[in-house]
Amino acid sequence: MSDAPEGVAAAPRAAGAGAQPARGAVVLAARDLARRYRMGQETIDVLRGVSLDLHAGESVAIMGRSGAGKSTLLHLLGLLDRPDAGSLRIDGVESAGLSRAARARLRNASVGFVFQFYHLLPELSALENAMLPRMIALGPLAWLGARTEARRQALALLDELGLASRASHRPGKLSGGERQRVAIARALVGQPRLLLCDEPTGNLDERTSAAIAEQLFALSARHGHTLVLVTHDAELAARADRTLLLHEGRLDLA
Amino acid sequence: MFRLFLATRYMLARPVSYLAMSAIAVAVMALITVISVMNGFLAETRTIVRGTTSDIVVLPGQDPAWNYAAPREAFEKLVAGHPQVSGVCARLVRPAVVKVHGRANMTVGDSMFSNRNQVLVLGIDPDAEAPVTDLLHYMDVLAIPANKDITVTDPRRPFFLDKAQVADGALRNAGLPRVLVGEPRMRELGLARGDALEMVTLPEGEGLGGDQLRTTTQTFVISGTFSTGKHDFDLATVFIERDRFREWTGTKQEFSELYVRCRDGADLPRVRDELIAAFHAARLPAGVETWMDRHSIYLGAVENERNILGFVLSLFVLLTCTITFSMLTMMVQEKVRDIGILSAMGASAGGIGAVFALCGLYVAGLGGVLGLGLGELLSSKINAVKDWIESTFGIQIFNRDVYAFTEIPTSINHPLNVAIVVGTAFFSIFICLLPALRAARMDPVEALRHE
Repeated sequence: MSDAPEGVAAAPRAAGAGAQPARGAVVLAARDLARRYRMGQETIDVLRGVSLDLHAGESVAIMGRSGAGKSTLLHLLGLLDRPDAGSLRIDGVESAGLSRAARARLRNASVGFVFQFYHLLPELSALENAMLPRMIALGPLAWLGARTEARRQALALLDELGLASRASHRPGKLSGGERQRVAIARALVGQPRLLLCDEPTGNLDERTSAAIAEQLFALSARHGHTLVLVTHDAELAARADRTLLLHEGRLDLA
Repeated sequence: MFRLFLATRYMLARPVSYLAMSAIAVAVMALITVISVMNGFLAETRTIVRGTTSDIVVLPGQDPAWNYAAPREAFEKLVAGHPQVSGVCARLVRPAVVKVHGRANMTVGDSMFSNRNQVLVLGIDPDAEAPVTDLLHYMDVLAIPANKDITVTDPRRPFFLDKAQVADGALRNAGLPRVLVGEPRMRELGLARGDALEMVTLPEGEGLGGDQLRTTTQTFVISGTFSTGKHDFDLATVFIERDRFREWTGTKQEFSELYVRCRDGADLPRVRDELIAAFHAARLPAGVETWMDRHSIYLGAVENERNILGFVLSLFVLLTCTITFSMLTMMVQEKVRDIGILSAMGASAGGIGAVFALCGLYVAGLGGVLGLGLGELLSSKINAVKDWIESTFGIQIFNRDVYAFTEIPTSINHPLNVAIVVGTAFFSIFICLLPALRAARMDPVEALRHE
């Protein structure tokens, strides 16, 4: 599963596919992704042939002005949306022909999301939020056997993020920074190959942003995740192995 | 696993779910209680109706060849010859008007039977009745509580009353025939055992076509009372010995009806049909009816009432299920972002839909089970509840004079009650599929962007 699918490695480097040398096998390979939206009579081409290879363990920042299509690209890469054209392989699996359920399984196994507004479930504690992807992955019987291990993993991540003492708290009782740390723990608990972050520090103050960024990069480096950051923050982007600019629906080197 | 987990959390966190659950519980409780009471009412009514008659009744036809007096022995012999028949007795029947001896004409003040002095006089042979009907049982003092002044002195000899017990001394040596008067009429007219009663009827052969109607009046002495529990029967029936009946009316008839008791487990409609065939073969014109045939309209009315109440309350239960629908619709609307988050975490569309469908099942299932418990508890304790309401609020809930049941009858049908709960749960799931499908079909990107 971790090997690059046939054809992807040999594919020509797409625009912005990076000056940095690959740090590992190709985790994600996007070719000529296009996405357009209809606004009444008007059709807007948000993405016009985006190609991208993401390698295991690397970090990539995607920048661009508001409305450039950064979130749209992230949703396509995370299998939340389907492109109008192009192909996308994650862990060697071509997503185009997958059913909605199969895409959900692949997303659960291979992709972790961190959102700007945390997107935690308010009825669940920090620990339960962090365990959610594992819970989704397992059926009731499998969960009975794996529950202790999943809990241990989630607690270990929360501990790494300095939230062990806040595990039983609900999101409403946590600060913005704490919520984002819980969201990071949730994204990492299933040990996905790909971590997609949409403005992960966009809703935090400067000091907290720095701390979160530090933890995000440290954790993804420690666990070998491929990190994709969509951000307006140049300082945050500078920490990534490479930075790409989304402009007029295409990716370029920043 | 997340489906069950999240559905539980969503339910526990939302007060409206408790409200919906309570509404379903109350509706199911009401339905179960009403059906239990109506079933009890129907069962009691059947028992009472059954007790005032016999398994089968034979009504002789009018035949000039007999001079309109059917040959009792021939009829009894034919009926008794059926292998499923265990006993036969003859009765004479005639309408009359009652009047309390020595008083102005008094009418009963019963709300349903006011100004009604008409009765049906039944001439019976007590010894022949015993193995065929439950009549003697209804003269038992235990069946007529706390009024020994009106009960018969000896239920095995209901028409016996020592002349010393006749209230009017002038009538003690008159050798007047004894009668049994129903308990409600005794109570309404303030009568007691030993009181005299006059009854007026048409003598034999008197028709209604003449200018002047002849009547025959006879004074009787009340030897006691009876109570079948069927109010209108008790109010409108007077029993007299069959021979005394014949002397009073001068009738040539030996019987108006044959009451037939069948063996336990006998197929009554089949016995009826076979008796009809036998009478036909013997060229004896007769009508034959089972007790259910005779009272089909009355029993059918009670059954109809039960079915209508059950139907109306079932609609009420279904209505409360729509509260679950509304609750889920609102929940899906409020949880749009959660749906997006779950999709991003890798939850399938079916899994997300199942979370909301399970919420519906929780509300309907738990509400239904709660309603089942409360309904069966209330049904089993309904008389205690009735007594408490009556004593606390001074409201009469159950008028025993109307039904002549000492308590509200109930019959708890567990399988039916469980079926009500299962049906409620199924209906709830069915109507909750729409919001659950809406959740399942939601575009995750749109859901994540939802404000």
